[in-house]
Parts: sequence; structure tokens; C-alpha cells
Amino acid sequence: MKLFFCAIIFSFLPLLLFCQTKISGKVTDTENQPLPGANVFIKDSYDGISTKEDGSFSFTTTEDGDAVLVVSFIGYKSTEKSIQLTGKEINIDLMLEEEAKELGTVVISAGSFEASDEKKGVILKPLDIVTTAGSAGDIYSALKTLPGTQQIGETEGLFVRGGSASETVTIIDDMTVQKPFYTSVPDIPGRGRFSPFLFKGIVFSTGGYSAQYGQALSSALVLKSQDLAEDTRTAINLMVLGLGGSHTQKWEKSSLAFEGGYYNLGPYFEIQKQRQEWDTAPVGIETSTNYRLKTSETGMFKAYASYHYSDLSLYTKNLDSLSKNIFTKDYTKLRTDNYYLNLSHKDILGDDWTIFTGASFSLDKDMIDLNSDKFDRDENLNQGRVTMTKQVFNNSFLTFGGEFQSLSYTSSFNEFESRMNEIFFAGYLESDIYFTNDIAARIGIRGEHSKTIDKYNFAPRISLAYRLGTYDQLNFAYGKFYQTPYKDFLVQPKTSGFTNNNFEFENATHYIFNYQYLGTGRTFRVEFYYKDYDNLTKGYLYTYPYNHLNEIPFSNNGSGYAKGVDVFWRDGETFPLTDYWISYSYLDTKRDFANYPGLANPTFATPHTFSVVLKHWVQEITTYFGITYSFATGRPYYNPNKPNNSDFLSDKTKSYNNLSFNFSHLTSVFNNFTVVYFSIDNIIGFNNIYGYNYSRDGVIKDAILPTTTRSAFLGMFISLGESNPY
Amino acid sequence: MKFLLTIIICFYSASGLTADDGKYEKAMEKNISMIDSAHDVASMIDVANRFERIANAEKDKWLPYYYASLAYAITCFTDTITEKKDGYLDKADYFIHIADSLEPNESENYVMMGMIAQGRMQIDPMNRYMKYGPISTKNFKMAMELDTLNPRPEYLMGVSTYYTPEQFGGGPDRAKPILEKSLAKFNQFVPDNNLMPNWGRQSVESMLNEIKEKSEMQEQN
Repeated sequence: MKLFFCAIIFSFLPLLLFCQTKISGKVTDTENQPLPGANVFIKDSYDGISTKEDGSFSFTTTEDGDAVLVVSFIGYKSTEKSIQLTGKEINIDLMLEEEAKELGTVVISAGSFEASDEKKGVILKPLDIVTTAGSAGDIYSALKTLPGTQQIGETEGLFVRGGSASETVTIIDDMTVQKPFYTSVPDIPGRGRFSPFLFKGIVFSTGGYSAQYGQALSSALVLKSQDLAEDTRTAINLMVLGLGGSHTQKWEKSSLAFEGGYYNLGPYFEIQKQRQEWDTAPVGIETSTNYRLKTSETGMFKAYASYHYSDLSLYTKNLDSLSKNIFTKDYTKLRTDNYYLNLSHKDILGDDWTIFTGASFSLDKDMIDLNSDKFDRDENLNQGRVTMTKQVFNNSFLTFGGEFQSLSYTSSFNEFESRMNEIFFAGYLESDIYFTNDIAARIGIRGEHSKTIDKYNFAPRISLAYRLGTYDQLNFAYGKFYQTPYKDFLVQPKTSGFTNNNFEFENATHYIFNYQYLGTGRTFRVEFYYKDYDNLTKGYLYTYPYNHLNEIPFSNNGSGYAKGVDVFWRDGETFPLTDYWISYSYLDTKRDFANYPGLANPTFATPHTFSVVLKHWVQEITTYFGITYSFATGRPYYNPNKPNNSDFLSDKTKSYNNLSFNFSHLTSVFNNFTVVYFSIDNIIGFNNIYGYNYSRDGVIKDAILPTTTRSAFLGMFISLGESNPY
Repeated sequence: MKFLLTIIICFYSASGLTADDGKYEKAMEKNISMIDSAHDVASMIDVANRFERIANAEKDKWLPYYYASLAYAITCFTDTITEKKDGYLDKADYFIHIADSLEPNESENYVMMGMIAQGRMQIDPMNRYMKYGPISTKNFKMAMELDTLNPRPEYLMGVSTYYTPEQFGGGPDRAKPILEKSLAKFNQFVPDNNLMPNWGRQSVESMLNEIKEKSEMQEQN
């Protein structure tokens, strides 16, 4: 009997040896906030549980001995803790750290607006650029609705925070683009040459940009082109201005695209009467080739080549003869050829080295006939760049590299020819340091040398970002920005013993401070800035629009300042299917440069600028509607009837107003995905005046007006073949 | 005595040492049925956690990883907070890639990858359809090639077509034949074992009913 009882007990022994350990506790983040739904479990075992709403958990495990307790939760680094399972109850609290790559990281962004599909913490998407009313797909027109830019309608370019258009540089895949616009004739702006569809990322910096870029006193527009095409497709583009087509072929590791377009504004000008008297309305041809090759798992080679041709001629009133009651017209003919080639290769070596190499070649030829005179300009820019980036602990990284530019510029007037050859070197070193998830800094230094003026410069750049909460940040930036004097100053023959070696680099010192809130559907930013200009080039240029002003000897004694506030508010959440943004800029600036007699508010800057962009999607008719309203206070213009230096640029035009409207209708034509696009600029027909031209004796005053009061545009984009994803 | 010893030995072996056999199947069966009964984000995350634990314990079985991925994808569709959705899909991505490395050329894994791409697209359709549309189609096509009898690729393609505007080549009329093909396959489908994926039939049926009701209403008007 005894034996029987012992046997029973023995048989239950294994069950008794199956000790059960109870494990309880709480899971929180580093700020003691509970994490509900976290997974707490014994490694290599089934035993575990999800935490409750309050982060607490409790479960029993039949494992024993040494074990590892694992905790995992979305967006946080997994944690493991060694424990001893002896049957004795364990109480353990666990704290999880956020994964740095999530939305919660601070982003360095002082002074810049970024549009990207891929990055987090950006304010714009590339599609925003295309669908902004009034832009007709022109990147620069869309950027003019952001704060920091001025509403300049009579000439192309981005005029940022008191700077002229030449103070903004356009960079594609880290290569400076010599001529991002079509050459224009006086008072008629040229369009941007590159379609926004080419780019996957756009960073528009209104100041304080990275040490990797230079030669722009005010701002940098950094564009990154698309990678491998998604699929093979053919597209046709029909517009009132002309037509174009493209074909993209995709293979497994590469893609090749061809694009061509022809435009002729003649028929359009018949329907939409222009103020100018055109002889040959603008005609042009655009062709480009785009090749992408994945050279390895992580490497990408890109090649982009384009050729643009344009031709136009028109008659303009001759104001000087008009003041003597003789009606004559000046005849201007402009023909341009632009050749552009951009090659780049980027790859990751080892674990943490990224290497980028790029080269570009551009040749821009302008042939201008002005009555019986001939002006020709030839610019040839060759560039190369190498940039290396290394990851160093956490998310911090070190970037360094160099660039080289060789520019040859010939400017000729009838039989007189002047020529300039510039060799330019720059080196840069920059470090992005993430001290914590809340504090980051970008510190860099850039050195440049210009052969033409035979000078060096060293420019420090610092950017700091401090995250206050999940959505808001404080940002600060300081930097020095140098720019070689404008090439028309350098190429021009000079008198009184002044040579190019006497020139200095122009420079601007930026101080920027901003507060930014980047929520899920709403963005708010207010940015204060102060720019101190020094060594601005002074002298007299024989080119428009400066050729009517008084002659001033060359020097680098110019100076100036620009200060103000930029405010931006974007909301895509409050109203369903509606997205709108509001920009306001206040600018106080004076400068003494070129042939100004002293400090004055330049013609391209005005105190108040305001823009509203609104877009609404109507699902029933699959159409995007957009409205843009822009306002700017009047701008100064030169009045030769006021010769006193104290009255220089004291006259102002009236305010500028423009309400434009567009819609994009998505549909299909014979089963092909189609977008029909229509826009009207200045619907209300405000009579905007950009400035005035005078006859030399000051008697005749002629307003500089837009080419037409209202302008309309209609286009259709059809995508054929496998492009329809459905 | 001998008889007693035999009984004791049987008892011994029955008491717990055979618990490991069928443990995997039992846990998987239980959790698979929990997928159907989980109706909110918290319960679905709990289901995902359970599969993660099984996956972590077994290591070489692809199904727990597959189901963890499925649970996170369903969580993404269930949750209404947009900023969290990419996070759920990141987890779904992570698990399905492990499942794929353990069991390459498995049709159901490609169905899952297609579903995740659809999820990415729905978060920001205007900006993402050009990238993720082709990716999801490619994955569904691959799933169909690997197993022509799998009804799920056409089910998901049909759902997507149903919600796509007609101007883009979608709409209920175009979705109907795709869903009907899927239903026909569901009628023939026999899973290899009771742990293999076998979901979707009810949704196909209810969507086809919706399409039928809509077209009947249109005829009346």
C-alpha cells in the first residue's frame, strides 16, 4: 500500500516540478507614459501577453531557469532583460526608447521648404508644385506662393528676401544649372526649362543653406531627379501652346526615356491678344533623354541630356524718339540654343560610406538683334563634384567633398568681343549631429577660390534644431555666403586701371530663427531673419535694366541689409478634401550696389507680400479645383525727373493683385489615363503695373505691364500603355 | 506491481511531457480564429503579438510570420489615425519578408505583399498611387502565377477595382467579373492543411451582393 502511495506521489512529481512563475509589471516610454498593446514574452517560448491600456501586464510561464524577457512595440526599440524563473513571483517595470527613424525625430530645417514623397517632416509634396494655380507646371511660379519670395512679374527668377534673382542658384542633382530659364527679352519673363515631373525632391531654401552649396547670396533651389522609372509608358501632351510626347521604357535594372516638344505661341496670340507687337511669336523645340541604371543593389547611375531651341522677334516703342514726337519702333530678335548634360552616380560602400560623383556640361548661346546691332552671349559651364558621407554613431554623419567649375563666357556687341574664363574650386566639410532625439545640429565650413578675381573665402555655416514636443521645433541658423561678382561685371572692359583682380567676393551673413509646428494635417511656421550684405559690386553695366543710369566707377564698396518675418500656415485637415496654405512676408531692405548713388530700397523688394493657395478635390467628377490669390504692396521704380540722390527710387507703383484659377480633370480617353488642365491668370483683370520705363530726357513715362491683362491656358496630358495601374 | 508500474509510466508520460506535440497547432488554430473575432485595434494588435510570440519560439515556420503580417495589415485598415498607418505596415513588411525568406515562392506571401502595397497607397492615394499601384499589381500577378488556384489575389484586386473611380478604369462594373472569378476559385479551394490561409470568401460574397443590389437599384431608376 505504502508503495502504491509513493508511486502515485512519484507520478505527480513531474507536475510539481513544472513550476509556474508569475511575471507582472508595467511598460512605459522614457517619459513614463504607458505603452498599451506592447508584446511582453519569454524569448523562444510561447509564453507572453499584450500590455493593457495602462501599460500593465501579468502572465505566468512554465519555463524555468535562465530566461530572457523580451518587450517589443511599434516605433520603439525592442528590449531584452535576463531573468531567473524559479517559481517566485517577478515584478518588473520596463522602459522603451523611441526608434530614432520615426516621425518623432527632430529635423534640421531652418530657412527651407522641402517637397518630397519619401522624407518625413516635409511641408510640400512634388504634386503640390504641379497643381498650384497660376503655375501651369512651372516650378518657379509655384514657389512664388511661398513666403520669402517677391511677386516680380516682368522678369524671371526667384527674388528671395531682398535679394535679386542672381542671388538664387538652381541645382539639379548637385550640379549648378547655368540657365534654368529660357532667355527672355526685356519685360517679358522666361519660363523655367525643367518640368516638375522630373523631380522626386525639391528643397527651396530661403537662407542658411548647407555648406555643400555656394555662390548664391540669398537662396538655393536644390532639385533631386527621379530614380528608376516605375514602369514603361508613353505620354502625349497637347496644349494651346503646342504639343509634346514622351516614351519611357523600363527594364529590370534600368530605364530610358525620350521626350520631345514643339511649341508655337502664334495661334495662341491670335486668340489672346498681347500688348506687345510680335513679329514672330515665340517658337521653340525641346528634346531630352533620361537614362537610369541600377549599378548594384545600392548604386544608381543617372544621365540626363537636353537640347532647347527658341526663337522670337517683336517691335517695341522707342521712348526717346517718342519724346520728340517721332514714332519709331525698335526691332528685337532673340534666338537661343541650350545644350545640357548631367551625369551622376551614387552608391553605398561597405556599411556606412556613401559616395556621390557628378559632372555636368552646359552650353548656352544667345543671339540678339536689336535693330541693326548684334549682341551675342555664349556661356559654357563644365562642372565636376565628389561628395562622401560617412555614418558615425547613432544617426550622425559626416559629409565632405569638393567641386570644380570651369566657365567660359563671351559677350559681344557687333564686332567688339569680351571674354572671360573662370576656374572655380570649392571644398566643404559638414557634420549632422543628433545629440538626442530632440536636439540636432548641422555644422559646416566651405572654402572657395575664384581664378578670375584671384581670391579665397571661408564660409562657416551652422544650423540648430531643438524639438519642443511631438510636433513643434525651434530652429536657428547662421552662415556666411559668398558670391563672385556677376559675370557681366567681370567680362566688361574696364577703365581707370581697375582689373578683375581688384574685385572681392560679395558676401551676405544670415541670421535666422524660426518656430515650426508640423502636425499631421496642419503646419505653421514663423521665421525671423536678418541678412547683412557686404562687398557688393558697384559699377556701371551696359546691360538692361541698368543701362540708363549714371556711370559709377567699379568697386566692392557696396553694402546693404535685409530683415523681416515670414509666416506660413498650411491646413489640409479642417475642411474635407480641401488643402490650403497662406503665406505672408514682411521685408525691410536697403542696399547700395551696381550704380545706385547710395542706400535705397531696391526695385525688386516691397514691404508686404501675401499669398493664398487653395485646392479642393471633387470626387464625383474626379477634378481638382485650385485658386491662388497674391497681393504685394507697390515696388520702387527709377524716375529720371528726380535726379537728387535723396529721391532715388522714392516713387512706388500701386499695389499688385492677382487672382487666378485652375482645374485638373482626371479622366480616361479610349481607356488611357488623361488629365485635362485649364487655368486663367488674373481673372478679375486687375491692372497691375510692374514699374515704368522713361525716355532718357524723362518726358515720356511708359508703364511696364503684363503681356496681357488676363491669360488662359488649356492642356491635355494622356498616358498610354501599361501606365494605368488598374 | 508490474501492472501498477505500467500505469504509472503511462501517467507520467501523459502528464506533461507530450504537451509539446500539437502545442504549435493548437496555438495557431486558436489565434487564427481570433483574427475573425478581433474587431478593434487593441485586440488585433494582441493577435499580432500572439503570432509574434509563436514565430519567435518556432523560428523556422513561415506561417506565424505570415499571420503576424496579416494581423498588422488588418490593424492598419482598422485604425482611423492616419499617422500610425505607415508604422503598422512597416511591421507587416518586416514579418512578411521573414516569411518569404523561410518559404520563398509561396503564393500567399505575395498576396500579403500586394495587400501591404495597397495599404500604403490608401494612406495618401493622390501622391502614392503612381508608385504603389504597379507594385501591388506586380505582387498579385506573381501570386497568381505561383498558385493559379489561389482565390485571394483576384479578391483583393477586385476590391481595389471596386473603389477606384471609373475614370481611372475602376468601378463596380469592372470589379464584378474579377470578384466572380475569385468566388469560383473559393468554391474549388481546398487548403493544404487547416493552418494555411483560408480567408476572404465572405467579403467576396458580400461585395458581389452589394454590386448586384446597386445594379438592381439603377435598373429601377
